[in-house]
Amino acid sequence: MGFLPARARAWLAAVAVVTPMLAAASSPATAQERVNPQARALAHFREEVDKYVELHKKLEATLPELPKDATPTQIDQRQRALAALIQTARKGAAPGDIFERDSRPIIRKLLYAVFAGPAGNRLRASINEENPGQVVKLTVNGRYPDSIPVSTVPPQVLRALPQLPPELEYRFIGATLILLDAHAHIIVDYMTGVLPR
Amino acid sequence: MLITRRAAALPLVLLLCSAAFVSALGAVQQAPAAQPAVALPNADGSLKFAVLGDFGNGNRQQYELAAVMAKVHASFPYEVVITVGDNIYGSERPQDMKRKFEDPYKPLLDAGVKFYASLGNHDDRVQSRYKLFNMEGRTYYTFKAPRQDVRFFALESDYPTPAQLEWLQREMANAGERWKIPYFHHPLYSSGKRHGSHSDLRDVLEPIFLKNGVTAVFAGHDHFYERTRPQQGMTHFVVGSGGQLRRGNIDRKSPVLAVGFDTDQAFLVAEIQDDRLTFNALSRTGAVVDSGVIERRKEPRP
Repeated sequence: MGFLPARARAWLAAVAVVTPMLAAASSPATAQERVNPQARALAHFREEVDKYVELHKKLEATLPELPKDATPTQIDQRQRALAALIQTARKGAAPGDIFERDSRPIIRKLLYAVFAGPAGNRLRASINEENPGQVVKLTVNGRYPDSIPVSTVPPQVLRALPQLPPELEYRFIGATLILLDAHAHIIVDYMTGVLPR
Repeated sequence: MLITRRAAALPLVLLLCSAAFVSALGAVQQAPAAQPAVALPNADGSLKFAVLGDFGNGNRQQYELAAVMAKVHASFPYEVVITVGDNIYGSERPQDMKRKFEDPYKPLLDAGVKFYASLGNHDDRVQSRYKLFNMEGRTYYTFKAPRQDVRFFALESDYPTPAQLEWLQREMANAGERWKIPYFHHPLYSSGKRHGSHSDLRDVLEPIFLKNGVTAVFAGHDHFYERTRPQQGMTHFVVGSGGQLRRGNIDRKSPVLAVGFDTDQAFLVAEIQDDRLTFNALSRTGAVVDSGVIERRKEPRP
């Protein structure tokens, strides 16, 4: 797979990890049929991510470019302006729009596989270091709370999850997995109860 | 005067006064109590830089340490400050950038000192667009030092994506400089009771550092100053004491601890000349709380 780009390799790796886990629960079927539901769900997740990023880029392009010597005021205004544009464009957005019903169990299983492994406890500890727990009500489209530091996401966890474009990041607040817009600093979607206790 | 410029054969000595030094040493684990601080050569043509971390809270202690940094700069003209993250705590509105960064370090900024930031878990990613942090929109990046054969690598340790790790491997392998110095927020080795070593990160970064002949690593996150005993031949510094401080947080029984200082704010100044890195860690009183010389590791491991 050396000729494949990193992102494609990661998607294939994610499918490879998930497939045997789900295969046991599925009815007898051909190998092709066993692979497809997971691959399809992850592909669908990627489509939703791509759709969001396309919107993000389109809206960001309507804002004036930041000059190289941008002041903090200009940077802050641009970040908030982008957030406002996205919030308007996704006015009806709700939890599960991107973490859709089909992809949620797969993402849970990907994370479960990591946290159930030998390094699971220390990975959880790393994420939970300054994780305040579920102290705020999370809102899709809402600004990531300024008072809460972003969680560390260990490399082993990032490697297990489907890779994201640079506009988006995975983060945790409490046991909730968040999809964070890294430019607009808003919560794009979230999944509750993801981080095992 | 904190530092005396070397004149003729006189070595540079950073000690403010012996009383302050002795007082500071009282809190230093395994510090060479009977030894004087190792003088920075302050040589022409050397690379002089400072390391600062976990600083931007806008409190009095941050300002006082910043004033010491400015005094040191007057005699030891470092050109570069690398930050090991948590550059701004809490709100990051424009007025915060001023109060928590631009005002305290104004003398340094006015003198042309360039800050090259890395991001911590308290930092909004948008800081990468802030001109005075010299990140040019990137959350991880590399740059060649203005002097000597040195290249720095600023990493985003709270979000080490596979893409970032591939980038690091590639950039370190391609870098022709003799010194390759990584810096980032989460320490691979630390004696902190609160956070401590990040072994998950160590598992992926340490092999890359070993392979590429890294000698010294700078991090923060734990709110104190620490220098480790060499780990796999590399010395790790924790400089998370630029404004925040977690008093008494160093585990004195930690096997990795060489020197630790957790009773006051502190920063580090360092100088590279050829294959030697000389360093002094200074507290808010200007006392040298650690010092030494590290020779560049010459044999990268396969």
